[in-house]
Amino acid sequence: MSKELSVVLTLLSPFIGGLVYGFERIVRARMQNRQGPPILQPFYDFFKLMDKRSIMIHSFHAFMGIMYLIGTWFSLYVLLSGGDILIAIFFHVLSLAFLVIGGFSVRSPYSVVGAMRELIHMLAYEPVFVLAAVGLYLVTGTFQVSELLKTDTVPILTLPLVFIAFLLSLPAVLKKSPFDIAEAHQEIIGGPEIEYSGKFYEAVYTAKWIEYVYAFFFVFLFAGGNYFLGAVLVVLSFFIVNLIDNATARVNFRQMVSFHWYILIPLVVVNLMLLALWRA
Amino acid sequence: MNLKKYRKKSPWILHYNTGSCNGCDVEILACLAPKYDLERFGVLNRGNPKQSDILLVTGPVTKRARERLIRLYMEMPEPKVVVAVGACACTGGVFRGMYNVENGVDKFIPVDVYVPGCAARPENIIDGVVRALEILEEKKKDLQLTRKCVGDIEYVLGKQLNRRKIVAEGIRRCYEDRRD
Repeated sequence: MSKELSVVLTLLSPFIGGLVYGFERIVRARMQNRQGPPILQPFYDFFKLMDKRSIMIHSFHAFMGIMYLIGTWFSLYVLLSGGDILIAIFFHVLSLAFLVIGGFSVRSPYSVVGAMRELIHMLAYEPVFVLAAVGLYLVTGTFQVSELLKTDTVPILTLPLVFIAFLLSLPAVLKKSPFDIAEAHQEIIGGPEIEYSGKFYEAVYTAKWIEYVYAFFFVFLFAGGNYFLGAVLVVLSFFIVNLIDNATARVNFRQMVSFHWYILIPLVVVNLMLLALWRA
Repeated sequence: MNLKKYRKKSPWILHYNTGSCNGCDVEILACLAPKYDLERFGVLNRGNPKQSDILLVTGPVTKRARERLIRLYMEMPEPKVVVAVGACACTGGVFRGMYNVENGVDKFIPVDVYVPGCAARPENIIDGVVRALEILEEKKKDLQLTRKCVGDIEYVLGKQLNRRKIVAEGIRRCYEDRRD
């Protein structure tokens, strides 16, 4: 991808993510036999939040919300500009760390509980992400996204179990049911984002849209240089994630961590070992 | 760029039950469920005062609930509107005059729309929310105070108003006229 295109795509990513989120709300509504909001609804929310009177808890808390947006945006830029996958993953961890620190810095117990659960989230799905990156490296011989998008090999053909594990950890990344424990809206009302309001909530809200683009771009990488297959995988995984979101209830954090550590990570490791045996 | 028109398009709701019998609360949930599907107008039930625009209050305000009512109202950022849902929230309903209730929401916070009925029908609640949205579009972004704090709060607390101080003062004034 050329430098200009990557910058333009990064700048447009909130817009793309907002459209994806709006489309997701429609898909979710149709799955529940409802009509659902218009597709531009996230942008209406965005402009409304801009108009609200701003309330700050303290300036550090608001700053952490904005840093969450910037960190997520930067990790997406690392991916789109053809950078290193691992660096993108670690910047994403860093951006979530900003959210966690912001969550811990206020006195609201919901915020503190949410921040702790956010850490448990990271503990659960980040190993799957890193191992998926390792799998992509074993198949294509590079961590660079720009090289990955040029290879002739199609990683998903040799990494089917890694892809399945990655797909099943997507609900945890996007904070969807059954792994939405960090922002369980019915019990801790958004978790670490509870104390943000007005313009500062807008930053957190936008960062969540960017995370959609970030997560689904990872899915796209599993098709290597085959862009058509990549698009198919993205659409398919989008519908599967929403179907799982609608069909399941929230699990508790022990079940979430044990699902990731006892099922998904062994799945990835088995795939990588079979790959090594097959090569030897 | 005029942002006021977007207020109407994405109203987020905070629903608070001040000791209601749950009849009106079930009807509010019916509005959000598939049959009436308020989400097609962008309405979301956030349950978080800091991110909401409309406060839907049910119930006759018991003496335990009034502190929380004031607290929730003051935590909502302006512009905001209050809809009193059901006969109890409007006037006290069947509980009016009892020793443990305060006869309606508007004794504590300014109410913009009253939705009558016991329990209020979902169609009425939707009408009330739509009327509230018209009011919301015209609202200013000035700090809005609870009923007992209007007028003299600046003399008591000074010009440097702080939401936390206003909440504390508002709650203190709840107990000023108690007889027990």
